[in-house]
Amino acid sequence: MRSDRSDSRETIFRFEEAVDKPLVPRFFPLLQHGVLIRCRIGRSVAAFLREDIGATAETIDMIQSIILDGKPVDDPGAAFIRDGSTLALSAAMPGLVGATLRRGGTYSSFRSAITYHETGQASLQGEGYVRIKLFNLLMAELGPVVLRKGVFLSGRDVVSFMTGQSPDFWEGCRQITLDGAPVDAAGLRNAPWLSEKDRVFLVVTGG
Amino acid sequence: MDKILRIDVGAEGAPRATVVPVGEYAGLGGRALTSAIVSKEVPPLCHPLGAENKLVIAPGLLSGTASAMSGRISVGGKSPLTGGIKEANSGGQPSQVLARLGYSAIVLEGKPNSSDLYKIFINKDGVKISVDNSLKMLPNYDLIAKMKAEYGDKVSCISIGPVGEMKMASATVAFTDMEQRPTRHAGRGGLGAVMGSKNIKVIVLDDTGMPMRPPKDPEKFKDANKRFVDGLKNHPVTGQGLPAYGTNVLTNILNEVGGYPTYNFKQGRFDGASKISGETQAETEKTRGANPTHGCHRGCVIQCSGTYNDKDGHFLTKQPEYETVWAHGGNCGISDLDKIAMMDFLDDTYGIDTIEMGATIAVAMEAGLAKFGDADAAIQMIHEVGKGTHLGRILGSGAAVTGKAFGIERVPVVKGQAMPAYDPRAVQGIGVTYATSPMGADHTAGYAVTANVLKVGGDVNALKPEGQIELSRNLQIATAAIDSTGMCLFIAFAVLDQPDTFQALLDMLNAFYGLNLTGDGVTELGKKVLSMERDFNARAGFTPQHDRLPDYFKTERFAPHNVTFGVKDEDLDKVFNW
Repeated sequence: MRSDRSDSRETIFRFEEAVDKPLVPRFFPLLQHGVLIRCRIGRSVAAFLREDIGATAETIDMIQSIILDGKPVDDPGAAFIRDGSTLALSAAMPGLVGATLRRGGTYSSFRSAITYHETGQASLQGEGYVRIKLFNLLMAELGPVVLRKGVFLSGRDVVSFMTGQSPDFWEGCRQITLDGAPVDAAGLRNAPWLSEKDRVFLVVTGG
Repeated sequence: MDKILRIDVGAEGAPRATVVPVGEYAGLGGRALTSAIVSKEVPPLCHPLGAENKLVIAPGLLSGTASAMSGRISVGGKSPLTGGIKEANSGGQPSQVLARLGYSAIVLEGKPNSSDLYKIFINKDGVKISVDNSLKMLPNYDLIAKMKAEYGDKVSCISIGPVGEMKMASATVAFTDMEQRPTRHAGRGGLGAVMGSKNIKVIVLDDTGMPMRPPKDPEKFKDANKRFVDGLKNHPVTGQGLPAYGTNVLTNILNEVGGYPTYNFKQGRFDGASKISGETQAETEKTRGANPTHGCHRGCVIQCSGTYNDKDGHFLTKQPEYETVWAHGGNCGISDLDKIAMMDFLDDTYGIDTIEMGATIAVAMEAGLAKFGDADAAIQMIHEVGKGTHLGRILGSGAAVTGKAFGIERVPVVKGQAMPAYDPRAVQGIGVTYATSPMGADHTAGYAVTANVLKVGGDVNALKPEGQIELSRNLQIATAAIDSTGMCLFIAFAVLDQPDTFQALLDMLNAFYGLNLTGDGVTELGKKVLSMERDFNARAGFTPQHDRLPDYFKTERFAPHNVTFGVKDEDLDKVFNW
């Protein structure tokens, strides 16, 4: 999904978590699969994490593997975000390969054939969309922050997600709004209001 | 642990047990002991299923003590799959129990005189070997239920399933876990077939009345063990990632970097990866009332295992490992976690190596026996193996044989053993280990990430081309050493990042045995083990040409990065130059 898409309707969808029913983690599978974030492009991965995602220094330390467009990044300060980039983030992984994929790790030479090397200039400017994927412990660490800021999804992904939810998911919603108007959960389960071509801006807030 | 139990299955009349002093093998445990015995006592050119081969089962140096993570057990012999020396290790309870009973090893030797099937019971009073033909062709789960009814719920078992009895080259040796389930396996290399060739179905161990093994210096031992445990708990991999998600946490990231072998190693990404990831698996387990955080033996503090329930909330299998989920999942184009869990159960109960089975199914799918993604067909193939049909006999002989039988070139094996879940074109360093390990393609052969702690051979410049060769060498040395302690290999993560934790491990060994072992001593142990293993293989006819990946890894470009394996043959030949 690119910023120049104009053929799709954009819908703003907000979920508020009920106090006693954790709802936010139920959205984590979306983060594992990947969601779009609107951001300034042309900045480094490190700046993106700090300024667009809002990751603290402690959280950035926790991010041991950074994969930009399928390639492991060793220096997040020297790899730049572009419109349409995919950025996957992982905490420390087990195994030799887990160690191999760590940023700047001792075993980085093991995957030198696929390591990210920045080739272009960071001359890009303006806004664009980045697909971000959060894996393992980072889903719980960064997921609530990312979901509170809001993410873009395709209508197809939202329909697939909604139809897969059990009744207790809907019980965990204190309030749901669609384009600013409160809506009833029962009417949303099959997302009849949504076309697969639509673009959805999803916001989830904790209780 | 100062004695070895030798059982001559070809003795006149019936198998005969003899307990002998550990003798020249004193000070060795786990892989060091199995490889020492096999290297010295087994003629390298013998038939793996013949009288001259031996099956050696050895707990680690710290097994049976209060040490955390000391429950690994090694199984060794000449491999029916590779034709070379083999050590496969496993978790589960038997390592601790066998060590507390005082045995450094059990050695099964000779050739049976009849078709009778035997069970062996070992407790503090001795060894009892008896014929029990009612056990013939019992799957592991049924077998263990029967042993539990007969010997009670405190014993632990070492067993083979029907595939071991049928002496197929993918057969495992199974070990029961804390719940007396046969979920842990010495999987690689077909050593279950060697146990089957000795007509031994099960070894039942009862350590009632046997105390924990006492250290020479209890206070120092206790202190070192505490520091060791603290180090494991404080490390993000052993203290957080593995307990939360298990080893299958690797699926998403391997897929993301395009190193996840899919459709029989054709490409590096699988569209269904997030459906079978560790994150999805752990969530599925929790919602069904199972437990994603569980140890495979007492004394485990990492807790990377777990249980997997079916849709109705009933136990189906243990939490499948990453390699299992990959082998039966992405490699076969299957994204149904329940079907993969069913395959894990079937592998365990029939006694089949999950990696070899999954790789074989993918080769069979490439041959047209089923379509990629057809989970029911994959399950049926495992049943064919378990029942020993003609097709099952081919599939149960492994990926290499199946590839030959069906005329397939793309067969991902080294020395006849199927590659695990990391493509060597994307992560070329692991390809060096796949190619050169004496064990055949094995992801655990160079697992113990430790170069910056042990500095084997000095500081390695990993950025130089030869860095991968040096690193693979160091990894294999360190792994061989850790495999000999009986410690879970997953301790390596904490050892890598935390030199204090590595020192705590050394301190534990020293306090237990009254030694002054240093990092250099560990390195020498690893080198010694690898030298014995490579010497055996050389005498068995292995040459440098066996230390190679299949040719297609050098010529077929691997998507999405379109890379081939680029490490030169002459560099592979330098791995063991020390």
